[in-house]
Amino acid sequence: MRRFLNATYKAAGMFSAFLILAICLLISTQIVLNGMGRLMPGMLPSTIPSYADFAGFMLAGATFLAMAYTLRSGGHIRVNLVMQHLSPRLVILAEGVTLLIASAFVAFALYFCGALVWESLHYGDVSNGIIPVPLWIPQLAMTFGMGLLLVALLHTLFDLITTGSSVLNTPDEV
Amino acid sequence: MADPLIALVLLGLLLLCLAAGLWVAISLGVVALVALLAFSNAPAGLVLATTLWGHSHSWALTALPLFILMGEILLRSRLSNDMFSGLAPWLGRAPGRLLHVNVFGCAIFAAVSGSSAATAATIGRMSVPELTERGYPQSLILGTLAGSATLGLLIPPSIILIVYGVATEQSIARLFIAGVLPGVMLITLFAGYVAVRAWMNPELIPEEARQFSFVERIKASRNLIPVALLIIGVIGSIYTGLASPTDAAALGVVLATLLAWLSGGFSWKLFMDALLSATRTSCMIAFILLGAAYLSVAMGFTGLPRNLATWIADMNLSAPMLLFALTIFFIILGCFLDGISVVVLTTSIIMPMIAAVGIDPLWFGIYLVVVVEMSQITPPVGFNLFVIQGMTGINILEVAKAAFPFFLLLLLGVALIAVFPQIVTYLPELMSR
Repeated sequence: MRRFLNATYKAAGMFSAFLILAICLLISTQIVLNGMGRLMPGMLPSTIPSYADFAGFMLAGATFLAMAYTLRSGGHIRVNLVMQHLSPRLVILAEGVTLLIASAFVAFALYFCGALVWESLHYGDVSNGIIPVPLWIPQLAMTFGMGLLLVALLHTLFDLITTGSSVLNTPDEV
Repeated sequence: MADPLIALVLLGLLLLCLAAGLWVAISLGVVALVALLAFSNAPAGLVLATTLWGHSHSWALTALPLFILMGEILLRSRLSNDMFSGLAPWLGRAPGRLLHVNVFGCAIFAAVSGSSAATAATIGRMSVPELTERGYPQSLILGTLAGSATLGLLIPPSIILIVYGVATEQSIARLFIAGVLPGVMLITLFAGYVAVRAWMNPELIPEEARQFSFVERIKASRNLIPVALLIIGVIGSIYTGLASPTDAAALGVVLATLLAWLSGGFSWKLFMDALLSATRTSCMIAFILLGAAYLSVAMGFTGLPRNLATWIADMNLSAPMLLFALTIFFIILGCFLDGISVVVLTTSIIMPMIAAVGIDPLWFGIYLVVVVEMSQITPPVGFNLFVIQGMTGINILEVAKAAFPFFLLLLLGVALIAVFPQIVTYLPELMSR
């Protein structure tokens, strides 16, 4: 189970990385097409339709899908100045409480992200660009990312309870 | 409840969340949620989902992962190893000699990486052992390194300016260009300080035995020249309006990869390392931005920042007085929080106040970044100090003491841009609109 979860975080993180690379290639291609359009007009189409929309959606996907992976590799920042000066037992207590609060907040966000996807599906919302993209597709990536973040938070809480040691200073090597 | 009391309760809650070690992004979100549920009639959940979605796919924000990736690639290329040997032959005869390698190395690297801690780590890894071996005084080595590395936040392309631009809906291109002259000014101040110290105590600075001819110098820095061209290309294309920051960032990634590949020693594995590291960093920053966006929206519903702004306006506080108070506030805040968190908190709460007293938001962005630079070298939480402590094993307070003159120089820099705002606004005003 543990290995399956770690592999899932990592896979989602890899997919995010792939999306960032795809953004880079998409925009670079657009720049090249733009330049070609000026040098040899008419040879190739000079714009990729709705490329800014696509770049934005891929960015949203990259951000949310990497949430769990970033959490497990200790990438999300927090202030541990106060925690360093507390006794180990208090640290574990505070750790448990913050994980619970974070899980509750993310669960709340997840529920309403799900509602947003349902609404987009229900009303058939599409993006405004030349190519109308159904909004539920990128929004589903956002919802999935938040869901995976919730799983990762609960996983971390489970680790904390079973091992009884703080995860604050030992980020998992995912 | 009265407004000031609400503000205090929310501030207290935020500090409690942060101190307990709750992730910064989630702390911002929790405070926003409490503010919405307790002090407004807005549907908190719906607002959260639309904010998360609406603020996560903007074109301007797309520049963020790309510039981070560009920096991560160059960080892993041979460039970082060549920085010392490439710069040293040019600076051997300047007053203060090779100490300037720290200043200029950081300035160049700042332009590619946009992160202050990464700049300190990369430059310091080469320069600290080299300079120590040659007998330069420790306090000046550490001070120039810690101080100059803060330039990473200001010199474009700067990650923190993207964050500010996205959060306040300012043009990122204009912010980048606005950062150029203040960056040059700070480099001049730092280099000038080193030169003055060298003139006052010539015995501090060891002799450089070897002299280099012009051809030897060019040869030594041949790996730095393409990088310098890359930076000039990125900034120049934004300045002339040829490319948006996002376009420039995408091309920057492609060219940086090519450069890293051609200069040798760059592998597929290093590229993947850079990509995954950029993915994590950009996810972390975007998450904080989303938390801050939710807080901004929540604050809008409660009306607190507006009332605070009216309150400030009613006090007839002049802009300089407000800036003076804010500078002190930010320095204290910066002692405990990282730069990006300081910036997003400011934009959620303080921006209406700034508008109320008629301060230019473009100028304020640059001011804020220089103040945040100071917080990088103040204990107990100063990222550059941590990095240098980790690298050299020298106590953080010792490093902070060595960096203190540079803290004062940054303060002088803030005073200069406050007295002469043209330093910030001159170049953006020249840009084609």
